[in-house]
Amino acid sequence: MAEQPLHEHTLGNGLRVVVCEDHVVPLAAVNIWYGVGSRHERAGRTGLAHLFEHLMFQGSSNVAEGEHAALLESAGAAFNASTSFERTNYYETVPVSHLELALWLEADRMGTLPAALTQANLDNQRDVVKNERRQRYDNQPYGTAFERLCRLTFPAGHPYAHTPIGSMEDLDATTLEDCTDFFGTWYAPGNAVLSIVGDVDPEQAVKAVERYFGGLPTGPATPPARPGDLGPLGGVTAEDVDEDVPSPAYFAMFPLPSDGGGDIEAAELAVEILGGGSGSRLYDRMVRRDEIATEVWAGVTRLASGQSLAIVDAVGPDPAKIAEVLDEELGRFATEGPDADEAARATAQAERGFLEQTETVTGLANALSQNATQFGDPSRVFTAPGRAAAVTAGEIKDMAERWMAPGSRTALIYGGAS
Amino acid sequence: MTQSPGAGPALQPRPVPGPVPAWAFPAGDAGRIPSGPATLRCDLPGRRLAAVRLILKAGAGREPGGAEGVAALTAHALLEGTEPGGGTALTAAFERLGASLYASADLTALRIALDVPVTRLGPALELFSAVVRDPALADADVARLGRERLEEIAQEDADPGSRAMRELRAVMFPDESRASRPTGGSRASVEALGGADVRAFYGSVVPAEATAVVAGDLSGTDADAALTAALKGWGGAGAAALPSADTIPPSSAARIVVVDRPGSVQTYLSLGHGVPDRSHPDWPSLMVASHVLGGGLTSRLNAVLREDKGYTYGVRAGLLRLRHCGLFITQGAVHTEVTADAVADALTELRGVVSRGISDEEHGSSVRALADRAPAEYETARAVAAELADVSANGLGADYPSRYLEAVRSSTPDGVARAYREHIDPEALTIIAVGDAEQIREPLEKLGYATVTVAAAE
Repeated sequence: MAEQPLHEHTLGNGLRVVVCEDHVVPLAAVNIWYGVGSRHERAGRTGLAHLFEHLMFQGSSNVAEGEHAALLESAGAAFNASTSFERTNYYETVPVSHLELALWLEADRMGTLPAALTQANLDNQRDVVKNERRQRYDNQPYGTAFERLCRLTFPAGHPYAHTPIGSMEDLDATTLEDCTDFFGTWYAPGNAVLSIVGDVDPEQAVKAVERYFGGLPTGPATPPARPGDLGPLGGVTAEDVDEDVPSPAYFAMFPLPSDGGGDIEAAELAVEILGGGSGSRLYDRMVRRDEIATEVWAGVTRLASGQSLAIVDAVGPDPAKIAEVLDEELGRFATEGPDADEAARATAQAERGFLEQTETVTGLANALSQNATQFGDPSRVFTAPGRAAAVTAGEIKDMAERWMAPGSRTALIYGGAS
Repeated sequence: MTQSPGAGPALQPRPVPGPVPAWAFPAGDAGRIPSGPATLRCDLPGRRLAAVRLILKAGAGREPGGAEGVAALTAHALLEGTEPGGGTALTAAFERLGASLYASADLTALRIALDVPVTRLGPALELFSAVVRDPALADADVARLGRERLEEIAQEDADPGSRAMRELRAVMFPDESRASRPTGGSRASVEALGGADVRAFYGSVVPAEATAVVAGDLSGTDADAALTAALKGWGGAGAAALPSADTIPPSSAARIVVVDRPGSVQTYLSLGHGVPDRSHPDWPSLMVASHVLGGGLTSRLNAVLREDKGYTYGVRAGLLRLRHCGLFITQGAVHTEVTADAVADALTELRGVVSRGISDEEHGSSVRALADRAPAEYETARAVAAELADVSANGLGADYPSRYLEAVRSSTPDGVARAYREHIDPEALTIIAVGDAEQIREPLEKLGYATVTVAAAE
């Protein structure tokens, strides 16, 4: 879609609203970000933010158990929710005729969820979430790598030291009262951003939001968040993982600058040039030329109120050799920086990434909620290609040197099949 | 404004939605490049990322005897560029344009996919042209990619879902069917492949059998001329014609096969039955039946296995689309301890459509779920191009997506139940269970559904 002006509005109860017209398809995407994620959990209750997300589909005052999904499914809606370190989002993309129904459903659970909370629902969704944990992490080769790396990278008790899925023990210990308290602390209009993108009239859309959400009480102010900072790592902390996996592998994690400034733009381009795809330095060296790995992957998780994170992983028979070559390449990059062509390529790829992220109403709505929640400016989404293009080769080199120097990371060493 | 009882927040009554707006699957303009591929051009206003899909009738189903895996290996080797040992040169050239190039092979076709901002479609098609016309397919690259495939096999076999799918195909299709073996080839077949096999396979491709699709906001671009220039005069090397794909159907019979995965905390279950291919008039009704059973959170299987019992994070039922047939598959991961109970509950639901049909409400809900989600499903040029390319590869015609959606809408509850009864026998399901054999074998035997065998270790 072409970039359309954004319509922003804040309700009396604090709910921030962003609307963007897009008449390409007769759809409306509704997306709510709540400013709560696993970083806000307390010790002994890891996984609560995500478990609570499941409970949001179990009914509220005027929505029976299962009815939320039934209404949306029978409207041909795509809907889901996800929980990350810093936020929980809920979203549905509906035929535009069903926009008000979607708003009504979201308002009912934002305002009245505890009315439908029962021990039976909690017990059932706890079992579902434990099976989610088994399916996505425990029963997958290398499935717990990200969780292990976070535990190695951050000191115990740090808000980012545990991942959103939580531990089985903490899930088991969670009570109905924990859930009610969690709702009372975090789920309120003032801690949420609601975005609507699609075939709508912005004025009418804002009025509809006012109608359905305007009667919800403001709720208490959210507690201050604990600091999430961490500097670059000084040294390599490695863990041998005794797990039956198909092949030996080496996984590395590096903290990066927080999202929001120029540094993360440069740091992300550095990671892309090093390990993003088959044109990258690490892939070319390890897979194509040295043939010490059959697969290399690198990616960045941007985080706004703590360090962003980079992961590099490589599958190959000799993890020690992979670590050695990784250090060589990191050293070379930190010293020389990228060449002009590498920087230009990474910038062009960032532009395509932006188009992919924002070309659907669903994707754009999520990006608007994110930028409004984390940076107070939904229109920041449209500056992403420009921000990437403004980065210089020197800045990429500086970020690589500061955050991805040789010998400063956490790492997992998988030995392979037992 | 209405006030809810007590001191709760002021809420509005539930709104009643109006009719869903009309929407049609985008039509493509058909053409042909002289003595070259058929073309489909689809102008999608507002879509700034263009998608090009070139479909070659050179899927794994047409591999010469013994060369299993050569189609997938050829797809990967195409991405290595036009110069032997060219390294990152080709990838870098596409990256400079903000473009990406992928290629893959399934049983039906070898698919080459280009995604690029429409503003740079022209130069991207020039690169694309060089890849299609003159790929290096060098010995050294093929040897390395073969080793990468061996690693991929190990990774696929360690993943419970893909391991289950491999076993399901091996059990359901007879040995003489290509579909019985992995699309990307087995360890032994891949080890035997070299650059000459890949070059011979690619040299046998007949351009006139191919289809090229371009979709996106093409206004102001000369997409037609660029596509024609890219593919005109492209000719195969005139090598031996590829054999026809076999059309051997799957066999359906009651059987349970355990694939031992010691220590698994879950069992991945896959329950399969053969159905006709997509050209059969009952296909849309079978899609509706699958959705009623396992299409969403409120489907019959999820209502019981997830929302009632908490056995799983989720189960889904659907139809696997192959060229000459389909497979009705119900699959999901369940906690090891409840494996047999979950199978019993799944069987009850799969039998339920036969014994009690489906209700008007379930039917209406599933029809709307399948048909009304189409605008979101086909919102991007990538999705439209991929679907148009797929129906072309399967010989279904560019109007198939529209005809399919129309048939879903005009299905009836009785018609859906009849189609299910006619094509799916819940007493003749192949059940694959990837899990800890020591814990799950005996409970599965006690179900009395079928003899339980344990797949031999490799």
